[in-house]
This record gives sequence, C-alpha cells and structure tokens, in this order.
Amino acid sequence: MHFDPTLFAQQLINGLSLGGIYALIALGYTMVYGIIELINFAHGDVYTLGTFFSLAILTLLGVTGVVTGPMLIVVVAVTILGAMILCGLTGVIIERLAYRRLRNAPKLAPLITAIGMSFILENLMLYWKGPSPIPFPAVIPNPEFTLGAVTIQAKQVMVILLAIVLMVVLQAFVYNTKLGKAMRATAQDKDAAQLMGININTTIALTFLIGSALAGAAGFVSGVYYGSTWFFNGFGAGLKAFTAAVLGGIGNLAGAMLGGFLIGLIEAMTTQFIGDQWSNVVVFSVLVIVLIFRPSGLLGEALPNKV
Amino acid sequence: MALLEIDNLVARYGRITALEGISLTVEEGEIVTLIGANGAGKTTTLRAISGLVRPASGAIHFAGRDISRLAPNEIVRAGISHSPEGRHVFPRMTVRENLELGAYTRTSKAEIAEDTARVLEIFPRLGERFEQKAGTMSGGEQQMLAIARAMMSRPRVLLLDEPSLGLSPKLVQTIFAVIRDINARGTTILLIEQNARQALAVAARGYVLEVGTIVHSGPAADLAASEAVRAAYLGGAA
Ligand SMILES: Nc1ncnc2c1ncn2[C@@H]1O[C@H](COP(=O)(O)OP(=O)(O)OP(=O)(O)O)[C@@H](O)[C@H]1O
Ligand SMILES: [Mg+2]
Repeated sequence: MHFDPTLFAQQLINGLSLGGIYALIALGYTMVYGIIELINFAHGDVYTLGTFFSLAILTLLGVTGVVTGPMLIVVVAVTILGAMILCGLTGVIIERLAYRRLRNAPKLAPLITAIGMSFILENLMLYWKGPSPIPFPAVIPNPEFTLGAVTIQAKQVMVILLAIVLMVVLQAFVYNTKLGKAMRATAQDKDAAQLMGININTTIALTFLIGSALAGAAGFVSGVYYGSTWFFNGFGAGLKAFTAAVLGGIGNLAGAMLGGFLIGLIEAMTTQFIGDQWSNVVVFSVLVIVLIFRPSGLLGEALPNKV
Repeated sequence: MALLEIDNLVARYGRITALEGISLTVEEGEIVTLIGANGAGKTTTLRAISGLVRPASGAIHFAGRDISRLAPNEIVRAGISHSPEGRHVFPRMTVRENLELGAYTRTSKAEIAEDTARVLEIFPRLGERFEQKAGTMSGGEQQMLAIARAMMSRPRVLLLDEPSLGLSPKLVQTIFAVIRDINARGTTILLIEQNARQALAVAARGYVLEVGTIVHSGPAADLAASEAVRAAYLGGAA
C-alpha cells in the first residue's frame, strides 16, 4: 500500500457523497431516538421505500433516462418532494399504528416491534418489485469536472449539496420555530412538555414525518447516485447510518451529519487504500474506539443534547 | 359553583389505588392547601387535575366544565397551570426558552413580553441567568424557574407541588411571599406542601390527605389549631 495524494483527494469526494446519503438517513434515526428513545429499525427500509417511490414517480412522469433543460428542475423537484411526502406519511403511519400504543411499555416491546416493522416493509417491497436489483434512471446529466487529476461528478455535488441544504433547513426549523421548540421540549421531558400545552402526540408524529421525509430525499439521491435499488437496500445503508448516528452522538442532529460524512469517508478511504473487504471492519472499529473514549459519541454530551 | 371542583375522584396505578374517592373545591381567588404524609396521594391529585393521570372514576369540573377526559394540553388552554413536583425544567434549554415554552399556548407577543418582565421582577435571579441552560442552575433557581414558567400561561388556577422542597430557609420565605403575591394579583392557587405550618399560614382553607382519603378539611386556621393535625403534621403540640 502506498499513499497517493490524488487518489486521496478523489476518495475524499467519493466519501463525502456516500456520506451525504448516510447523513440524511442518520438524521431520522437520531431524531426518533432523541424524542422517544427508540432505535427505529424500520428507518432503513423507509429509505429503500424512498428509492421505490422515486422510481414510481419517475415512471409516472415518463422519465427513463437523462432529463435536460428546464424540465430537469421540475422532474427533480417533483420526485424529491413526492418521495419526501410519501416517506414522511409512511413514517407517521408506522408511528401511529405500531409505536404509539407502546410508548409506556417496557423498552424492549417497541424495539422488537421496530424489527417486525422492518420485516413487513422489506416484504412489501419484495412483493412490489421482486427480489432482483432494479435499474434506476440516471435523471440528471452527469458532466464531470476535473480539478487537477481529481474528477468530480455532477451527481456527487448534488448529493453533498442536498444533504447540507436539508441539514441547514432542519437546524433552522428545530432551533428557530415554535414547533421545533415543542419537539425539543418533548424530547427533554414529556410530562413537562404536556404541562406547557404541547400536544406530544402531534409533536412525535411530526418528528417521524420529518425524519422519514429526509430518508425519502436520501432515497432519490441514492437511486440517481448508484443507478439501481432493490428491496433489501436499506439493510446495509440503514446499519451504516445508524452507526453514523451513534458515532456522532445519538440524539444530536449535527452529530448525525458529522457521523454520516465520517463513515462515508472511512468507507471510501478503506476501499481505496486497504481493500474493499475491510471497509466494515474499519468502520465498526472506529465506532468502538470512539465509544471507548467518548461513550456518548463525538458531539453527544453527558446529558445528550437531544434533538 | 366553585372554580375547581373535584368529586369522588378515584385514581389508580395498575393495582395500586392512589386516591380512593376524594372530593375538594377551590373557590376563585382562594389559596387552598393540600397536606399529607409521603405517598398520601397529593401529587396524584394534581396530576389528575392536569390530565397526566386518567381518573378511574369521579369528575373534575373547572369553571363549570368537566375536564376529567381532556388531554393535558387542552387543560392548560382551559386555564390551569401546573408547577410539578421535582421542578421538571427543560434542562438543555435556557431560562429564556423555558419561559417561552411556559407561554406556548399564547400568541400575543406583547402580553408575553409583559409577563416575562413581571416574572423577572418577581425572581430577579432568573434575569441574571436568562441565557443559562436550566440544567446547570442550582435547585433553588430551578424551582423559581418552574414557578415562573407555570405563571407564563397566565393561568386562572396555579397548581404548585412542593414549591419549597429543598430550598434554604431564606428562599422558602421568598417563595411563600411570591405565592401570596401571585394570589393577590388574582390567580387562584392549589398548593401542596410538606411544610404544613407555612402552607396553612398562607392558605385560606386546607385539606388533609391520608393514604388516598381526605381525613380533615376546613379553614386553614382551624386546621392549624386542631390537635389531630398538629400531632401528625405540625411536629406535635407546640
Ligand atoms: N407512577 C406510579 N406507579 C405506581 N404507583 C405510583 C406511581 N406514582 C405514585 N404511585 C403511588 O401512589 C401513591 C400516591 O403517590 P403520590 O405521589 O400522589 O403521593 P404524594 O402525596 O405526592 O407523596 P410525596 O409527599 O412523597 O410526594 C403512593 O403510594 C405511590 O407509591
Ligand atoms: Mg408528591
């Protein structure tokens, strides 16, 4: 193994785009954990659903390949928004049907239910699209820019930008709006939040709506980025994104983002400089080492800074 | 008709019956105190009024309306505010944000600003700590914040659960003075206290709760003078 700065720079770009997708998914894990202390195992599958919904919308729009001109903006906007809305509603329905009644049950009950929900979603998607990988249209033209010897693809820029923009919007919402404040209050103390006049059912549903909508956005960009999807897509990506949330400090929004980008980078670098088969080993070793020294994650406080 | 009227309220936690059919009333403008030993059911009574505990049976009327089936957020909107046992301030939010959440049900920015100014006048310490995270404040400061936050909804009835718990004697005096002051400005108060002597001194009437049942009630001065109450709650005949 020898170190090549050009390859390093190239993998930096690759890692950040991969990380952008993880980061968007990780936000949903961390938001739900922050508000009801549940590891929502079904979240990775909601992300896969995001790719399926995007595909269905593109089919409705008659898109099978690259779109150009002003139509591109319309197609991308309609597909992302559609996937976000449909995934958001899926999240709300899951919470309403499964998790809400278990809110005061012992912690294990909702956890097992979440695993069950994950199986249900995977099997619904298996039934919908079958067991094979499904091609995903390229949608956006993908010119490559070269910076020295490093090539940057347009779709990589799209992933990174979208992740950052959505993160900024989310932060602004959570910290600067009344509903965002209600979410933070609910995360910190449910009884007290109710005594303030906050309807915590609504607030928790809103958390699922937003977290799942972000997974929907991730679904669209990952479809475009990888050019395919399949029903089991969310298992691996969900695990990585959950790891990202824990690495950054579960319950912490900025932490999920940081964790997502870090894991994308670690994965890209390992693949380049050590070997593809080592990427999971390295990712989880880093997680273990970080947790030994900072049990509440990189940005988590001893009192975790939830939502 | 009393402003707040509890009729034969029964509350259970699983198989434990915490309230075995209690009745009490609070008239508009009064301070009423509920005293009793640990585990008597005082906190449960307040939690039932604010909707955090569903009554197993019985009725709770507020301003003539049965509120026993309403959600907690609707009860706040109806005009009842609750400063809970153990303070329950939002630890990772600043004093300012805690007070803003106290006013969550209100919309008039001007009125909220007016009430913020008023609670900061009552508790100047909160003004000095305005941008500090509540979780990093002392117990006494958190207690002041909990009371101030409960006032921010401009309630008709304020429920206070052990507001003097764990405070220095000097602060206890301050808190009781504040309770009088809030009441003098027109807010009805239902007060729970371990500190029965002080509570009976500030209240017009009182109820004594023993394991889920009301065993004495009447004008505060009569309770304070009663042998039975003195023996059990005021540290013997003094
Ligand atoms: N969440 C709960 N689950 C089970 N039992 C409970 C619960 N909360 C209270 N209890 C029981 O209900 C009874 C009344 O409790 P409550 O908290 O109302 O008493 P209290 O008068 O406020 O006591 P204290 O002075 O110690 O605050 C007690 O026997 C208590 O153990
Ligand atoms: Mg109590």
